[in-house]
Amino acid sequence: MSVVSLSPDALQRAVDDLSGNSAAESRQVALQQFLQRGFPTPRDEDWKYTDLAKVVDISERWLAHAPDAVAEPLDESAVREIQSTIDATWLVFSNGRLNSDLSDALLSEAIDVTAIDNEALTVDDPLADLSAALMLDGISIRVGEAMQIEKPIGLLFADRATKAPQVTQARINIRLEAGSAARVIEYHLSSGDADHYSNVHIDVDTGADASLDYVRLQKRSRSHSQTQRLNARLNDRSIMRHFGLDLGGALARNDLKIDIAGAAASAEFNGLYIGAEKQHIDNHTRVDHRIGPARSVQEYRGIMSGRSRCVWNGKAIVHAGADGSDAEQANHNLLLSEHSEINAKPELEIYADEVKCSHGTTVGQLDEAALFYLRTRGLNPSDAKRILTRAFATRVVEKSPIPELHELLNLLVETRLTELGSEV
Amino acid sequence: MLEISNLNARTGDTDILHGLSLSVNKGEVHAIMGPNGSGKSTLAQVVAGHDAYEVTDGSVLFNGNNLLDLEPEERARDGIFLGFQYPVEIPGVNNAYLLKAAVNARRAHQGLEEIDAFEFLKLAREKMALLGMDPKFLNRGVNEGFSGGEKKRNEILQMAMLEPTLAILDETDSGLDIDALKAVAEGVNALRSPERAIILVTHYQRLLDYIVPDFVHVLSEGRIVRSGDKSLALELEEKGYEWVREAASA
Repeated sequence: MSVVSLSPDALQRAVDDLSGNSAAESRQVALQQFLQRGFPTPRDEDWKYTDLAKVVDISERWLAHAPDAVAEPLDESAVREIQSTIDATWLVFSNGRLNSDLSDALLSEAIDVTAIDNEALTVDDPLADLSAALMLDGISIRVGEAMQIEKPIGLLFADRATKAPQVTQARINIRLEAGSAARVIEYHLSSGDADHYSNVHIDVDTGADASLDYVRLQKRSRSHSQTQRLNARLNDRSIMRHFGLDLGGALARNDLKIDIAGAAASAEFNGLYIGAEKQHIDNHTRVDHRIGPARSVQEYRGIMSGRSRCVWNGKAIVHAGADGSDAEQANHNLLLSEHSEINAKPELEIYADEVKCSHGTTVGQLDEAALFYLRTRGLNPSDAKRILTRAFATRVVEKSPIPELHELLNLLVETRLTELGSEV
Repeated sequence: MLEISNLNARTGDTDILHGLSLSVNKGEVHAIMGPNGSGKSTLAQVVAGHDAYEVTDGSVLFNGNNLLDLEPEERARDGIFLGFQYPVEIPGVNNAYLLKAAVNARRAHQGLEEIDAFEFLKLAREKMALLGMDPKFLNRGVNEGFSGGEKKRNEILQMAMLEPTLAILDETDSGLDIDALKAVAEGVNALRSPERAIILVTHYQRLLDYIVPDFVHVLSEGRIVRSGDKSLALELEEKGYEWVREAASA
């Protein structure tokens, strides 16, 4: 039986201790909401395959030693390496605290960055409530009307747990005003031998005709856990393109929820997850077509080896009246070991007319015919497998919306697959 | 160069080759003809080393060595090339990348250094021009979205780059229009050399108007029932495969 909730007293104390920080009122509201529901459990349909018992345990032990009391030095060299590799304007968060020494100045005429302060932070999700109640430096980013920001905004979550269990609760709001365009890179990194759990909630709101290109990169320690949610609301004719890459984490759960609230909006979201050893990686996506015409298209791919277990659940709901909606889903999985597992589920709910929806899911091994073909060209079986596995990954990596990152993403994939050794 | 004696092979529970013998010397072009199901493609796959086929009897020697002991990639590096009847599409693997990897695998086996990138491109473009291929095919996924003719040209391009000592071209003419057929034939003819042997596996005589063979063999029910020169192909065209079957059972 899983422990599903934390001690209300310990939580209340932790939230009260943070009352000197921003958003004191919102925190209390969020805490009450969280306490009503607690952590999701496998009894919730959306959490059927992902058990947060370990995350609850880490949170409990973290609360017991008074949050924020155990200072963790940032892994500065890792942060600097990322900053020198990826050209972006970086906001660096260390265990939920904004590190101003390592962060770049984002304030300009085009972008406002402010602390989240008593905004309405509730979004009908207990984990979002938890992050709202316990966040340290919650940040709001606003891109001004018609501003075109070429250089990506980098959100780097560099977490560390060396001595005691640590928990990161983070909250980011991103608002693109009408006609603006921006690019965001969300990078998750963690290190240290102690337990760590990160819970990050991101809200995106686009004005009419705005365009957002977004890449999420998760490279946490393989003994750490995270839950991450991005809720986006797309207004008229706005475009969001998203790509998520999951390489790390003992347990990683990502929720991507896109609300098509404006006509002629378009959402394209793709992702790749590579599970090995005993990793558990869960990607849940949901797109709500509330108005038509509009288009959503997604493709997720997974490569699983060892005893890893992955989940892909893609839900598309075309609401009544959202005529002329077009929703496409695809999920392809490569199982490299007989002990690995994928739980793939496309879900379509259609309540409108003149709708074009499609979904396709495949699970399989490497194509034997392709392997033989490569061998007749003189390639070793191990090289042939390596090439085919990378090709499988590259095909979705190349859909990521920030082309400057393709090389790096492919390199990270290559490195991870090489670590897995002879299996791939 | 290639010495096949009394070859028997099966896939699953089905026996396909029943005592096939064939001798191919360097510099020769052999055509292997036969009706559907006679074992033509099986012969090509067995020589290339496909593990779906089990050799139950007989031997295959390549330059005096037992070919059947070798893995498909070892056979390729030794100089055997199979042009596929249905070339496999491999999306995400760049055509140039595969060509270069294949060339380098063969070169490493020959004790040569890896081919220089510029030299490789120059060579590839030359061969492509000869085959009437657009250089942009180099940067596409292997056979990805290629038409039937483009796939077959791509096979011949690989052959031209790899310079095998023995090339087996399995139904290279199938699905080609006359222009593609001429381009492919021209590519193959350019590779005829006193040092190289070519085996053409084909159902129709048409290809042999463009690539004139030194020998023609007719396969029926898993063995060669008739051998001759190019006139045999014409005779076959005229009389049909029924003639061979009758001759075989006679």
